[in-house]
Amino acid sequence: MSEPTSHVLPLHRIIMLGGEGVGKSALTLQFMYNEYNDEYEPTKADIYRKTLQLDGEQVQIDILDTAGQKVNVVIRDSYYRRADGFLCVFSIADEGSFQAIQAARDLVLQLRKDESVPFLLVGNKSDLQEERQVPLGECQARARKWGVSYVETSAKLHQNVHLVFYDLMRQISSRKASESMATNGGRKCKKKGCHACAIL
Amino acid sequence: MAPQPVVTGLSPKEGPPGTRVIIRGEFLGTRVQDLIGLKICGSDCLLSAEWKSSNKIIARTGPAKGKGDIIVTTLSGGVGTSTVQFRAYHETIGPLKESAVWIEESPSQNFAWGRRTLTQSGLTQEDPLGLSIEGNEQKIPEDLRDLFPEACGDLSQEHFSPSWFLLENHLATSFEDLKAGLAYLKRKVESQKEGQLSFLKSNAGSVIDQLDTLMNIRDKLQEDLKLHGTEPLNILEASIENSITESQKIFTDVLVRKEKADSTRSVLFALSRHKFLFCLPNAVDRRAKAGEYDIVVNDYSRAKNLFGKTEIPIFRKVLEEVDQRILSIRKQLHEKVVKMPQSVDQQKKLIKALTSLGAPSGTPIGDKLRNIDPAWDAIEARAKYLEATFRQTFEQHANKDAAGTPEKSKSRDRDRDPSQAPSRVNFCEELCDIAASQLPDLWRLGQLYFTGELRGPHDPKPGDFKKMILNAIEKFCVYLRLAILIAGDQRALRQSSGLSWSIGSASATHQFLPWIPQCLRYTRIAYATLIGLDLPSDALDIIQKLIDEVRLFCFSIIFKRSTDRCKKLGSQETWELGVEDYPGATILPAALEALLVETLDEVQSVCMQPESREGNLLEPQSDGQREVSQRLQEFLSTFSAVIEELAFQSHDEETPTHNVSQLLGFPNAQQLDSVASGGAAVTWEQRMLCCLANYAYCNKSFFPHIGDVFVRYGYPLPTLAIETSRYTVNQLFTNLLEEYVEHKGDPLVGTIEPSMYLGRFQWDHEMEIGQLRPYAHECCDNLVGVYSEIYSISPALLRPILESIVQTISEELARLMSCVQRFSFTGAIQAHVDIRLLRDALEGYANETAKNYFMEALEAINPPLNVEQKRKADEILERVKRNMRLQLLCFTIKEP
Repeated sequence: MSEPTSHVLPLHRIIMLGGEGVGKSALTLQFMYNEYNDEYEPTKADIYRKTLQLDGEQVQIDILDTAGQKVNVVIRDSYYRRADGFLCVFSIADEGSFQAIQAARDLVLQLRKDESVPFLLVGNKSDLQEERQVPLGECQARARKWGVSYVETSAKLHQNVHLVFYDLMRQISSRKASESMATNGGRKCKKKGCHACAIL
Repeated sequence: MAPQPVVTGLSPKEGPPGTRVIIRGEFLGTRVQDLIGLKICGSDCLLSAEWKSSNKIIARTGPAKGKGDIIVTTLSGGVGTSTVQFRAYHETIGPLKESAVWIEESPSQNFAWGRRTLTQSGLTQEDPLGLSIEGNEQKIPEDLRDLFPEACGDLSQEHFSPSWFLLENHLATSFEDLKAGLAYLKRKVESQKEGQLSFLKSNAGSVIDQLDTLMNIRDKLQEDLKLHGTEPLNILEASIENSITESQKIFTDVLVRKEKADSTRSVLFALSRHKFLFCLPNAVDRRAKAGEYDIVVNDYSRAKNLFGKTEIPIFRKVLEEVDQRILSIRKQLHEKVVKMPQSVDQQKKLIKALTSLGAPSGTPIGDKLRNIDPAWDAIEARAKYLEATFRQTFEQHANKDAAGTPEKSKSRDRDRDPSQAPSRVNFCEELCDIAASQLPDLWRLGQLYFTGELRGPHDPKPGDFKKMILNAIEKFCVYLRLAILIAGDQRALRQSSGLSWSIGSASATHQFLPWIPQCLRYTRIAYATLIGLDLPSDALDIIQKLIDEVRLFCFSIIFKRSTDRCKKLGSQETWELGVEDYPGATILPAALEALLVETLDEVQSVCMQPESREGNLLEPQSDGQREVSQRLQEFLSTFSAVIEELAFQSHDEETPTHNVSQLLGFPNAQQLDSVASGGAAVTWEQRMLCCLANYAYCNKSFFPHIGDVFVRYGYPLPTLAIETSRYTVNQLFTNLLEEYVEHKGDPLVGTIEPSMYLGRFQWDHEMEIGQLRPYAHECCDNLVGVYSEIYSISPALLRPILESIVQTISEELARLMSCVQRFSFTGAIQAHVDIRLLRDALEGYANETAKNYFMEALEAINPPLNVEQKRKADEILERVKRNMRLQLLCFTIKEP
């Protein structure tokens, strides 16, 4: 059953990407319910949806919290195709998780064939600076290389949690706006325009 | 009202039935009790829901299928909504797959389960790729319908979508396998294209084999046709039918027998299992006969507990029988309870049994029994029995007495051993025993009843019980009163109780009286027992009253007896003068005091000393004091009478000695006799004087002393009795004194005149003077004799006796002198001397009257004396006094 308003309101689908144990669910729960739990429980596939204000406009956000572990490829692909934006999360205290995000980025590009799809690189667990394994410079370099923004967060301390979600939603909504304009204008030129917007 | 619950998060968002789901959202309830509904995909999951906070609920999904909302319902917010949806799917469970839930299998199982289908149509082929689908039960990613809106996974459908099919059936199949499957499919298609000829060619051998087999079958069929005719199956059918019926029959037979055996076994089992119940009626009877009511009670209550609410008719029947038996036992018990005599403990046991056997209310029997209060009945029976026992004992003894008295009372009275108690005493003893043994029992039973130990279903009746106790005690007292207080107001008792005990002969009564203290003792023992019971005080007061009465009666009897003994004191008089402070009094008062002390001792020990919870008999203005006073008065007046009797008894025995005048010459033989007889014994005069002394002693000091004795024993001073007695004694003393004076003085005075005129003496003749006339001598001597007699007994009596004698003497002298016509010269002198001598001698004992008489006598001398005569007379008087110095000396002592 779906609410009548949900048809009217713009719906932004976000997928959480990243290796296992980097804090995707923690970020999600912190964003949704201001809830934090130190206990680790592997996620299968969780779904969250709520209505919120974005720059004076009511929007719905739909977060698909995927599993960090290996999952069925077909399902994953179908998800990726339908998503509006991606939050790509790694742990700054885990070199392995930083390496793994390259594969995720590659997969997104392979499926969407669009480098300007709304995408945010998130270095989580910024509270663990003393255990840091990935230098900040390296992270920023990677973001630059991909042409995306990089934000460091701490789900535990609730740092930058809302920022990343709202950033991504803004990217999504502006891209949707330009897309609808492009539909009105011409289908071919939409991707490039959008890319420009995203960078802006 | 709180906002509607909204579910905004699910973890995970899909799963088979039984998946543990974390539901997140807002306003999911304020507390555990607030959560009243949870539906996941339409199936109710409230039972497994675990409320964590208003944002979080953990639950397990139910047996739903497909995609659906999560609806949370709370008391505060009502029915909620959901922004996310859960997708439930069923996994196909194969032989190698574990499953936590029951999976519906019927759709996948056709009728010919377990048999391999012989032919397989290409259209219904399950596995067109020739690949095993085992292990492919991967979850379907999304609704395929969403992915392929215009396609279908069914091979037979027009818009068949290979992607759908592959996703549906070969989700987990690797690409290599799929390639092999493709090759397989191609091969199959190729083989179908080659046609039937090539099929025959390749299978020529088997086709020929099939033909041979068919030929063989035909041969066999023809043989059978010859053998069994055209319809061989009929016989077969008939025999099959037959065997079926036979087997059916055997089966039914066995079944019936088995059923029979089963039912028998179950009956036996039930019998042995409920042996207790079935044996109960007889067991109850047996136990009741043996008197083991405890066991009966136990068994009965057990049976009631176990089977009281049973619906099984046989049990009900047995129970009804048991109830009947119990009813009859209750009747027996009730009779037993009411039957007397028996001990309280026994009665208590029976009552308890009866109470415990009380049938539960509701049944008509129970209601009937409910009205019976066994404990109360027992109490009533006991009280009745007590009364009956009293009456029976009374009648028994009274009749014995009545029967014995008229016929042979004389002989019996004579024969009867004095130590043997009269029947009244026996009755008292028995009655007291009964009271002391049965009243406590009654009381204890009552206490038990009222403390609730034996309480029946009814409220207790304390008033009735108290009345009962009071009644019993009243009866007890009435009987005792009848028996003991024979001197009491029997008529009033007879009217109030309707009973009587004839008093019988006087001797019988007399015989009974000494036993009264014994009766009192019995009563007191019974009373002590009853006091120990903590009875209400008004009940005890009844007995106390009786006891006080009996005590008083006892007192009277003892005192009466003492009075009787006092009457006989006279015989004990020894005439010994034993009283130091009062000369003349004998030891008789001492004997009386001893008797009194003895009596008081006895009275004190028997009845006057109040025992526990008895009244003081000597309260001021009480019957007791009146009685004491009266008895004492009686006692003392008896004593006075005894003294009087003693005094006058001797008077009768002896004639007083009139040996006053030696001059007149009374026969001396009599005097000698009396001297001879009275020498050893005590003379009449002495006795008289002793009695007089006793009286005076009594009056003066002994009676007040008696009062002291009473005070010493704790009695109030019996002033009235003593004063009255003193008055009586005084009276008696005066009488006796007069008597004595009369007896002593009359002869003395009477001799004066004859002695004066002895020898034809005339006062007018001249005579020789110088001596005292003989009559005056004689008078003096006689007086001295009286004086000595009195003095030897009691000097205190001298004055009252002598005074009156002197008075009569002076009176006589005055009379005699006044009768003389004329005195001679010498005669006048002589008379003057005589009178003056007597006057002077008796001056100490002369009262005013006497003095006047003497003066009158002197003045009567005619003519009066002249100076010469006077001088002469003084001279002579002087001489005579000197001569008579010794005789006169005794009169001069004023107070001997």
